[in-house]
Amino acid sequence: MTMSEPIIAIENISKTFTSKERGKGRKRKKKVEALKDVSLEIFDGEVFGLLGPNGAGKTTLIKCLTTLLLPTSGTAWINGFNLQKEENKVRASIGCMLMGERGLYWKLTGRENLDYFGALYYIPKNVRRERIDYLVDLLELSDFVDRTVETYSSGQKMILAFAKSLINDAPILFLDEPTVTMDVHAARNLRSIVRSLNKEGHTIIYTTHLMAEADELCDRVAIIDRGEIIALGPPSELKSSIPQESVVDVEGVIPESARNRIVEIPGIRTAVVKDETNGKTMLGIICDNSRRVLPKIIDVLVEEDAIIEYISPQEVTLEDVFIAKTGRSLSIDTREIVTPKDAGK
Amino acid sequence: MTAKTVHKNLGLSEISWRSSLGVTKTVLIARFKIVLRYKGAIVFDMILPVILAALPILLGVAIAGQAAAQNFEDATGTENYKLYMLIGASTFIVVTLMLWLVGYWIRREMETGTLESVYASPAKRVEVLSGVTLYALIRSLMAFAFAMVVGSFIFQVDLFQGEMALALAFVVIGIIPLWGISFAFGALILKVKEADSLIQVMQWVVAFFMGIFFPITVFPPFLRYVALSFPPTWMTNGVRASLLDVAYFFGTWYLDLAVLLAFAAVLPLVGYTVFLRTERRIKKNEGVGQF
Ligand SMILES: Nc1ncnc2c1ncn2[C@@H]1O[C@H](COP(=O)(O)OP(=O)(O)OP(=O)(O)O)[C@@H](O)[C@H]1O
Ligand SMILES: [Mg+2]
Repeated sequence: MTMSEPIIAIENISKTFTSKERGKGRKRKKKVEALKDVSLEIFDGEVFGLLGPNGAGKTTLIKCLTTLLLPTSGTAWINGFNLQKEENKVRASIGCMLMGERGLYWKLTGRENLDYFGALYYIPKNVRRERIDYLVDLLELSDFVDRTVETYSSGQKMILAFAKSLINDAPILFLDEPTVTMDVHAARNLRSIVRSLNKEGHTIIYTTHLMAEADELCDRVAIIDRGEIIALGPPSELKSSIPQESVVDVEGVIPESARNRIVEIPGIRTAVVKDETNGKTMLGIICDNSRRVLPKIIDVLVEEDAIIEYISPQEVTLEDVFIAKTGRSLSIDTREIVTPKDAGK
Repeated sequence: MTAKTVHKNLGLSEISWRSSLGVTKTVLIARFKIVLRYKGAIVFDMILPVILAALPILLGVAIAGQAAAQNFEDATGTENYKLYMLIGASTFIVVTLMLWLVGYWIRREMETGTLESVYASPAKRVEVLSGVTLYALIRSLMAFAFAMVVGSFIFQVDLFQGEMALALAFVVIGIIPLWGISFAFGALILKVKEADSLIQVMQWVVAFFMGIFFPITVFPPFLRYVALSFPPTWMTNGVRASLLDVAYFFGTWYLDLAVLLAFAAVLPLVGYTVFLRTERRIKKNEGVGQF
């Protein structure tokens, strides 16, 4: 793997959506700044992860780079071609899987779909046929590729959509949450294919909101939040920006009063609800030194009658990087946020 | 800063004429494969005009006294109301299929997300649209021919009268401006997402104005001008005039045909331009993936 020159250079891309807001009789125009002045370089031969919570702007960025949306301002260079001036060359340089299992013709077979899109990339018929045979082998499609897509399971549609993105053997691949509806096994499979494609020299841009996936797969990640890149670098580097032993996870029945008191403990930077199911809470706490504050955390939990099922200092994950930067959890963006500043009020 | 690395791959080779035509051909064939997998779809648009023509014809048979027939002849110039209705219904199906199939294609592809897949590919808009309109053309001509032939048996009218070749010329040239209109119509559907009801309303407005069952000369002046600004009106009347004793709008066949030719020269370009503009405006905002 060589990481030499940038194959994608994004220069100050902003994207504002204007939509009509309906309700209460009146229509108002509403503006959403989905991307705010994003600049970024992606190198030839890397797996680049775009990581961010729902609504962060990941899909918007990818749609801009695949010419499906025109940026409100800014530009980009892709495979040496200008995004706005050489649209068709840009399109020919990329393969993309943008909307999961959508984007396929249900009344055509898998093979017919691949052939159709192959033709749209001006691939000659005989080359197309070979390429499809190759993809059928690579992705193990032979069981269903000659059936109409309407008969496919959700996972089969996903893998066909993935095959479609590979039809033109593009140097650059955009994959927008490709594993989102796959089971664990299929997802692992897809990631391993992504890795081997990368070994063959393809540059891959991969969005996900699963930090573990980004961590495992990507050479570099950009963490994007509310249309801005808030962190950029190799996962290991990002994680080491947070000192070791500064993350504590607590799981159990934790009353809100306990959470409010925990953030007031000196040495605690922030505490965020990472997950909440069946009345049980998973609290992620970021502090300066977990060894020092752990007893204090336990004291508070005991005083507040919390039921502790699990408490332990954790390895730093990319999610902790996100939490440290934003004070919010990655997985669910409507989380309750408890930070020392708010807690004082 | 620019990204310098330029990779070649399958899609970046020189685009030949053949691969360009290949796009159109692929889209055309895919359209037919898909519609043939919906049972009965094609049969329906062949039978529809026959049924459509049957209504006024049966009505005519039921109530047409001598006075009614005379009235019809006074208004249209022919007493052959059966063929008159059959031509009206058959050209209507051509118009409606041309607009409907292109509009429906865009609508459907937006819903399924395939339009976005098509847009992400380097295929030129005109090549893809040609495939779709060619498909619409073939289907409408098939429906036209079928309805005319079957209709002539059922209603026992003789198609072989008047100037057959001229009638055909009116049909063929009359379809070209429909391409343009269908592009513009497609643009409208890109923009107005609730297109289904729009298509249906448009269909009947069009049917009314192009005079499928009556001569537009019965319209008051304003409506008549509206009708005359719509190319299919000229097509329907041209076919009627060449087969029956109906008058041309401008008195002679070549003037009427010239008007249709002028429409044919201008409208496809206008329609295509409107389509590209609309597409650009949509991409500036929400893109074609939203619906
Ligand atoms: N067509 C649109 N009109 C108005 N706002 C939009 C439109 N498309 C996206 N947005 C807004 O832009 C922001 C970014 O959306 P985007 O789809 O890029 O997020 P994302 O990071 O891909 O999220 P997810 O993980 O849920 O896929 C969101 O606030 C979204 O509501
Ligand atoms: Mg998204």
